[in-house]
Amino acid sequence: MSYCVNCGVELDDTAAFCPLCHTPVQNPNQPVDLHSPKPFPTERQEVPPVSKRHVAILLSTVLASVGACCGVLNLFLRTERTWSLYVIGAAIMLWIWLVPPLLHHKKDTLRLQLLADILAIAIYVSLIAVDLDGWDWYWHLALPIILLLGAIFLFWGLTMGGRQRSTLSSMAIVIGSIGVFAMGVECFVDRFFRGNWSPSWSLIVLAVCLILTIPLIIVRRMPSLREEVRRRFHL
Amino acid sequence: MPRKQVKKNWYPLDNAGVLYSAIQRERYSAVYRFSALMTDPVDPEALQRAVDKTMPRFPGFCVRIRRGAFWCYFEPNPSPGPFVKPDMANPCQPVRFHEDNDWLIRIFYYQRRISLEVFHAVSDGAGTLVFLRTLLAVYLRELGHPIPNGEGILDVSAPPEREEMEDAYARYAGQRVLRIPLEKTAFPNTSAPEPFYTLNVTLGLVPVDLLREKAKSYHATITEYLTAVLLQCLLENQAAHRFRHPQPVALAIPINLRPWFPSKTLRNFILTMRLCIDPTLGEYTLPEIIRLVQSYMRLHTSRQEMRARFTGNVRFTRNRFLQIIPLPLKNPVLAFSYQMAGVRPYSGTYTNPGAFPVPPEMAPHIQRMEVMLGQATRPSPHCASISYGNTMAITFAGTGVSSETERRFFTHLVKEGLPVRVESNRTK
Repeated sequence: MSYCVNCGVELDDTAAFCPLCHTPVQNPNQPVDLHSPKPFPTERQEVPPVSKRHVAILLSTVLASVGACCGVLNLFLRTERTWSLYVIGAAIMLWIWLVPPLLHHKKDTLRLQLLADILAIAIYVSLIAVDLDGWDWYWHLALPIILLLGAIFLFWGLTMGGRQRSTLSSMAIVIGSIGVFAMGVECFVDRFFRGNWSPSWSLIVLAVCLILTIPLIIVRRMPSLREEVRRRFHL
Repeated sequence: MPRKQVKKNWYPLDNAGVLYSAIQRERYSAVYRFSALMTDPVDPEALQRAVDKTMPRFPGFCVRIRRGAFWCYFEPNPSPGPFVKPDMANPCQPVRFHEDNDWLIRIFYYQRRISLEVFHAVSDGAGTLVFLRTLLAVYLRELGHPIPNGEGILDVSAPPEREEMEDAYARYAGQRVLRIPLEKTAFPNTSAPEPFYTLNVTLGLVPVDLLREKAKSYHATITEYLTAVLLQCLLENQAAHRFRHPQPVALAIPINLRPWFPSKTLRNFILTMRLCIDPTLGEYTLPEIIRLVQSYMRLHTSRQEMRARFTGNVRFTRNRFLQIIPLPLKNPVLAFSYQMAGVRPYSGTYTNPGAFPVPPEMAPHIQRMEVMLGQATRPSPHCASISYGNTMAITFAGTGVSSETERRFFTHLVKEGLPVRVESNRTK
């Protein structure tokens, strides 16, 4: 029998190293027994998890058939309006949201997926614009707001997605972004309806967000305050 | 015309079963394993015959789980089996409800070892040990050894008793409920995870007489002593990280309720205790930790307190409002609650079902018993121990790469003068 020189435990005759500290067994009086069976089986048996590819195929089939059926029905029912565009657009949007993450769930594709998700919303709203003949509001109001939303999500993905970020920093980023988004929305709405931008309610939102964000940044940058907040809020 | 009596062949899960069925995932295994290392190599055909003869006596194990609209339920499994299979290097794999002919138990053999894996919703350790003891007796009879019934071995030719299938929680549930506030987050004791489905098992064998003597020198039982040693190892593990804000170190200790609430049930009847040491209060010596463990166990294992605790769980399953919430909505909430109340406040689990008594005719055929817990929700090891004859088998099983907890634990025993023999399935 061999003992681990590091841990002092007795080892199995077939052990080539100590399972506790991984020190190799070197016993000239009793070399490692390479022929006797190991104390535990060595053959792995794995049941593969449910294939996400199959789920992706199922989802794609369901969404495609829903879109196709509605498209065909639209040729015979209420033909005066292209109502099927709403369903087809929703199916496309759901497909972009759900299926690519099932096939590529790696972190490095997260930003690309975010862009695709925003693009899906833009496509869906464009189909509504086609049906309502509303390209004017689409180009000057809906699309800018969607792109601004996309930019904010992308910013969140870039700043918070990669490495572990503190709760305080994350909260500051989220609250600050809400203020910027409110400003953007008011700008686009004003320019679309009035032709010029006169900031009003969004300034209040932005001010509130700044009031909330600045203390968070200060607390984040001062270790003593940060510790106090952590202790109080059990962070 | 009298109405035809329809025999009810399904039954609801007990409250522990409800939880385990809700939290079962690909990356969490509510499966545990008991193994018997025999003195002779296992005869798989005799073992299969023994399984076929034993299963009808244990209807609680011959079940499959079904998802209803509001709750999961058990019903008799008409599929053939369970079939004994050669053992594998990655034990206690998560159970999938619609695979392996819907069986919720698995039987393996490897060289001289017979292993039984059970999904925790079916039974707890005490119930499973009755099943395993009977299975081993029938197996030895198949090999021609005269093994009598009694001493925990059930007569497989007799019909199952009604009380063995009872929901003992519901039987003993009282009126008062003891609500326990959400506990603090404990040191998670995690390390880098191994690839999918790898369960690192490290088994330590210690002579029971020396272990008892050592525990006695601290005026403690073996369970109290081992629990305290494990807590100290976890404290040392955390101290090695040099955290600025050390977290409490807490162990989940399942308690068999049968000694306090007499029941023959072979289903779940356990309650989990939380033993906690707060390192921010100062350093603890082993005798101090042992005193804390002893005091806590004695203070909180009162019949009244334990009844009040599991009454709350029984109320949960009987709540009219919760009953009408569909299962797909209820399960995520249950899983989240388990994460908050069953994972976050614990650094690990330690279970000790105690000694495995067998009739004298059976004793020479078994060398030792082993027990292991399945993979946790995070890559941290769980500890379990069982004694047979003069051998205490202590098993650490986890999906983490690090073996630091095991190393500290077993080297601590060696430093205390106890001889430890270690076996493992680690390949690197």
